[in-house]
Amino acid sequence: MLAQLKYYVRMNWKTETDEIVRRRRLALDQGGPDAIAKHHKKGRLTIRERINKLLDAGSFEEVGPAAGTANHDENGELTGFDPANFVLGFGKVDGRRIVVGGEDFTMRGGSPSPAGLRKSVYAEELAVQYKTPLVRLHEGSGGSVGGTSGKAQSLPGPVNAPARFRSVAQAMATVPVATAALGAVAGLPAGRLVASHFSVMSKSTAQILTAGPAVVARAMGEQKTKEELGGWKVHTKNGTVDNGADNETDCLTEIRKFLSFMPDNVNQLAPVIDCEDPIDRTDETLLNIVPRDRRQAFDMRRIINSVLDQNSFFEMGAGYGRSQITGLARLNGQPVGIWANNCKFLAGSMTTDGAHKARRFMELCETFSLPIISLVDEPGFMIGSQAEREATIRHGTSAVLTAAMTTVPWASVMVRRSFGVAQAAHYGPEGFVLAWPSAESGPLPVEGGVAVAFQREIAAAPDPEARRRELEEQLAARQSPFPRAEALGVHDLIDPCQTRLELCRWVDRVQHLLPALLGPSNFSIRP
Amino acid sequence: MIKIELETGGSVWKVLTKPGDQVEAGDTLFILEVMKMEVPYEAPVAGEVTSVHINEGDAVEEDQLAVEISD
Repeated sequence: MLAQLKYYVRMNWKTETDEIVRRRRLALDQGGPDAIAKHHKKGRLTIRERINKLLDAGSFEEVGPAAGTANHDENGELTGFDPANFVLGFGKVDGRRIVVGGEDFTMRGGSPSPAGLRKSVYAEELAVQYKTPLVRLHEGSGGSVGGTSGKAQSLPGPVNAPARFRSVAQAMATVPVATAALGAVAGLPAGRLVASHFSVMSKSTAQILTAGPAVVARAMGEQKTKEELGGWKVHTKNGTVDNGADNETDCLTEIRKFLSFMPDNVNQLAPVIDCEDPIDRTDETLLNIVPRDRRQAFDMRRIINSVLDQNSFFEMGAGYGRSQITGLARLNGQPVGIWANNCKFLAGSMTTDGAHKARRFMELCETFSLPIISLVDEPGFMIGSQAEREATIRHGTSAVLTAAMTTVPWASVMVRRSFGVAQAAHYGPEGFVLAWPSAESGPLPVEGGVAVAFQREIAAAPDPEARRRELEEQLAARQSPFPRAEALGVHDLIDPCQTRLELCRWVDRVQHLLPALLGPSNFSIRP
Repeated sequence: MIKIELETGGSVWKVLTKPGDQVEAGDTLFILEVMKMEVPYEAPVAGEVTSVHINEGDAVEEDQLAVEISD
């Protein structure tokens, strides 16, 4: 009788549920107290701390917490549990669901364990399946010659395995992807980092490396530190990442801000919020912001901040392709993409990197059905021997054709110059076009045009330099935007102070066109 | 010490400051000419100009050190 009773007691699953609890608790120890202390000492957060900081409090729902390797003693008793070194799950940012994941650097330095690799690859697949934005928080490296199992040779994948990077590309065509580099990121994680719509690196803790110092030294004899090879000074200037932030917390703030402009996926519209900034707010300083002296530069970012909803401008890629300014913002609460020229940098001309930045930005807007606001001060493609060596005409034309193929609504404001083939990139098909009185346009800027067309006349003049100036002034005076307006070459010629009102009215007119744009784009953004 | 480095190459059109000058934030220190545009560089902070490394007419390069200010 007793034996029978004992038999029934043993039949419940308490032993197993206890073990689940134990394993869960052990998993939270990550790489152990020493590894965590060492990590903190370097001024870095653990992956679980990062996730908790990013997400709304208490919203993390972990995926695959049981994945890892259990250790047993000779009696089969559990002695330890090494969790997969990639933490993955769902959570909420400002009440909206996302998928979030990142390497656990306290275990194997973030180099993937077998279960860690499976979870990391699953991140993109989950985001595509659930159609929620994806946030990756990277600190880790790729595979090692020892393989993920630590054994010399593991079984290679079958020839008919799904293409390894297909889900990475699919994620970019389906949901917003935002990624942060928070420590050293090398190899595969570095590749995934840049496969994002927005990427940010921590200036104080992150480096991004195609290959680290040891590999570089072995292959090339170059002796460089991680910071010299792939610190923020290198990568915020070359476009590897969009933005740099002072520390990890600021990186997470930037990601939250980016997501606030984004829909959950390509089948939804970006969230419109209530706007407290009056649409008829006028700014008298816009009347004199563009100097009458055509050689004098002005601050385009002041115009951007004045015209858009106050404090809504979120610049992306400020350190890269600096002749162009790109970012997200709101007009009367509607998220829009902003693209403008920066005449303080190489006169705002279309450089190779500026064209690349602009193309990616248009693709972002097209992917997520965001209207584009273009503030035009385009002198043309960058010229000179360096520009020729960089294939500027090819990259620039890529931006021009991208604009021509977009389907989102465009509003372009001719602020000052609009010249050459490059100007075509700043106007979308059937776009709405406004001109300021300072607008000037044509096949090429007056100065270059005069130099070519009046070459002989200038050379023959008693004072060639004076004749050149005279001709330049004569032709510049003919560039008035009034004839263009008379010919309906623009929708209207406006007082710059009215720009905000005109653009807000336009946004209201195009709002009902946006639902028809939903779904996958004809082309999507690639790194 | 605040270092003013050049955003782009170009030529130095005007130098408006010299070592020993007291400057206010926003004062124009020098003006480059880049692609036919005048690009003014302003003092980011108030302080004393301790050194000026460029001269009018110089051809200059990106990242070159132009002016130092002690704040």
